[in-house]
Amino acid sequence: MTSQDMASDTDVETDDDSLVTTDPGKGGLDENGERGSVGQTSAGTVIESRDLDVFYGETQALQNIDLAIPENQVTAMIGPSGCGKSTFLRCINRMNDLIDIARVEGELTFKGKNVYDTDVDPVALRRRIGMVFQHPNPFPKSIYDNVAYGLRIQDKTDNIDEVVEQSLKKAALWDEVKDRLDESALDLSGGQQQRLCIARAIAVDPEVVLMDEPASALDPIATSQIEDLIEDLATEYTVVIVTHNMQQAARISDKTAVFLTGGELVEFDDTDKIFENPDSQRVEDYITGKFG
Amino acid sequence: MATTSPTETEFGEVSRIKGIVFKYVSFVASIVGILALGALLAYVFWDALGLESAGTGWYLAYTGTLLVPLLAFFAYARTRPAVVAGAFELFSMTLAGVLLTGAGVIILSIIASPEVWFAYFLTVVGPIVGLYVYGQYDRKATWVGLAMLGVLLLGPVVGTLGLGVLTTIGALLGSPGVYFLSLVVPAAAVAAYLSTERLDFSRRRSLGIGVGLPVLAIAAVPLVDTVPAISRSVWLIGLVLFGLPVGFTVANTARTRDRWPAFAFPAILVLGFLAGEAVVTTIGATAPTPWLDWQYVTSGPSQTAAEAGLYPAIIGSIFLIVLVSVFTFVFGVGAAIYLEEYAPGSGPLAAITRIIKVNISNLAGVPSVVYGLLGLGIFVNIESQLGPFTYAGFGVGTVLTAAMTLSLLILPIVIISAQEAIRSVPDSLRQASYGMGATRWQTIRNVVLPRSLPGILTGTILALGRAIGETAPLIMIGAATTKFSPPSGLFGKLTAMPMQIFAWAFEPSDEFRYGVVAAGVVTLLIVMLTMNSVAILVRNKYQQEAN
Repeated sequence: MTSQDMASDTDVETDDDSLVTTDPGKGGLDENGERGSVGQTSAGTVIESRDLDVFYGETQALQNIDLAIPENQVTAMIGPSGCGKSTFLRCINRMNDLIDIARVEGELTFKGKNVYDTDVDPVALRRRIGMVFQHPNPFPKSIYDNVAYGLRIQDKTDNIDEVVEQSLKKAALWDEVKDRLDESALDLSGGQQQRLCIARAIAVDPEVVLMDEPASALDPIATSQIEDLIEDLATEYTVVIVTHNMQQAARISDKTAVFLTGGELVEFDDTDKIFENPDSQRVEDYITGKFG
Repeated sequence: MATTSPTETEFGEVSRIKGIVFKYVSFVASIVGILALGALLAYVFWDALGLESAGTGWYLAYTGTLLVPLLAFFAYARTRPAVVAGAFELFSMTLAGVLLTGAGVIILSIIASPEVWFAYFLTVVGPIVGLYVYGQYDRKATWVGLAMLGVLLLGPVVGTLGLGVLTTIGALLGSPGVYFLSLVVPAAAVAAYLSTERLDFSRRRSLGIGVGLPVLAIAAVPLVDTVPAISRSVWLIGLVLFGLPVGFTVANTARTRDRWPAFAFPAILVLGFLAGEAVVTTIGATAPTPWLDWQYVTSGPSQTAAEAGLYPAIIGSIFLIVLVSVFTFVFGVGAAIYLEEYAPGSGPLAAITRIIKVNISNLAGVPSVVYGLLGLGIFVNIESQLGPFTYAGFGVGTVLTAAMTLSLLILPIVIISAQEAIRSVPDSLRQASYGMGATRWQTIRNVVLPRSLPGILTGTILALGRAIGETAPLIMIGAATTKFSPPSGLFGKLTAMPMQIFAWAFEPSDEFRYGVVAAGVVTLLIVMLTMNSVAILVRNKYQQEAN
């Protein structure tokens, strides 16, 4: 079930029930003016950041990030190492809270609610925003228990069997593991483990799936399987993916944000525009490989 | 440069003398310690078992019946890891069963009398087990956890208030009746459940096991009555605490075909002893006169070496092991979890946490005699008045004082090793769990603890080994060196094995110094090795699950 074209290019979603409707375009005002053109499509905005600064101790990791992530599309974040793209991703579901020295200023809204408000429980937030990490990190439990983990901790214990099967099917892993669900997840190959982690993340039916370089530790075949999967997922979920691989971003994403050194968001627009005709010279240099 | 041939200058041998010297020095260093300890142990065993008095015939008989078959078995098992694992599991589970039964008898019939146990079984243990089972059965019932907490808090109160009535009922049942209801019946249910769930027995067979266990418990009573050493209560406790785990291990081993040869190991041990004994009596060979025999472990100390025994000290030490392991596990693991998982990494509290962490490492190095002094101070000598409550310690040389002092002694070690184990859980797993929307507690409970438990258990058991071998703190809190009866309860006075050995070492006669003391040391070592093998067993089980 790898219907890779199912979700790829034209995912023009209708705005539904959403959300804050601050015009994402206003993000371009501050700072160097160079940043400009925050993209705009007809899709509703799920996640929006305004003037987001992140500090690790004294070091500033992100500077004045303004970004609006559209619903049910794939938004890619690219940029050189240390540019803050993963930091931004981890701000969305407040995983940075786990780092003692991390400090967040500014506003980051999920469906119109600032997730850094004091009345937001990060645990509740993470139940609605799933995450897949760079290295496959299945629990040392059986395949079944891995997928069921989220369901159990969230007390969604109706039809666990059925949900596990559905999630594994969505993650294109079911056919490979259906006969050995109670074997250890650590016996799977790296690519299978990563798909298992994706199945685990979507089993609890989150609204957004964050992926932090999900294919960087995998071989090309496993990578292409993950990419197909991400495109499929975008029909149901909003996907935000951080990647080092520019081709990957070009292939699978609808929107691309380019972060460059120093934690700045340089340009954010439709993927086609970023890769064919970026506004910023720095982005063009980065994409064409003149600057890394 | 250009003129010399490159083979001589660039590819000649590089000097490795330093490395080679270092290698052999390290080798010698590691061997010396092992050899010294080995020689000492051999000496002690030789004395304790009185092997020098045995005739050649005896040696030949046992070499033929026991040693040769055992060596053959090891040679056979060497290339078959499944057999080794099976044999080890059978062996250590048997030891564990013995230890569990010992602990069970002490806790259930000496510390708490059968009637008192019955009262608290009805009000605390029974309801909690029932709720747990119900919670496993109906996972959606979220009130179960709260109810368990409630029972845990209220149960003892109700039990204490109703102690009079409940103990009367318990007394009417008699102690075998109490153990039958509170141990055998639940154990039968557990056995039936395990045999379907874990061993994949058919429904009918597991039902048979569930019914068979209580029937066996009653049917064997006439037989048990013929053995004076085993009372009916001990039989019932042993059936549950020894029979259930050993039976499960046997059934589990029998399930995998390539583990079957493992049964040869216990068979060789038992049959080898019987055959050896038979041969020795027929040929009339001189048997050794061991100091460590049944009389030694069942009688109290005496002025005559031949009648001296270690029984009160063994019971005292088991008392200590049980209590110390409970205290240190609860407080040690709790503290380690707090320090590693909950303690804040920044802010004013972080400084306090850091101070605590550093000082726990320091505390691990404090000499045991100092802990003895601490125990003397806070568990024996302090008297203070807090409103209506008077705290006046737990008495000089009592079980509770000794257990708490020894717990203090090993707590730092337990905390450090548990911290180490918790720290070794990869952060990516924690992140995965938090990323799924797990709370901190859920992450600790489902990810961190299962993964770190083998390490925690290893550290705890090693520390316990140190605790039961300690003498200095016991001397400081005024524990008796020689006692003629086992401790009567938590507030009874005790002696422990190292104390008794220490006292005997000052006896003038050679028989004491070389025979009785050696036998005591061997007993102590056997108890410690039993504990260690239990630890390895548990660790292996969890490691298998983790992989």
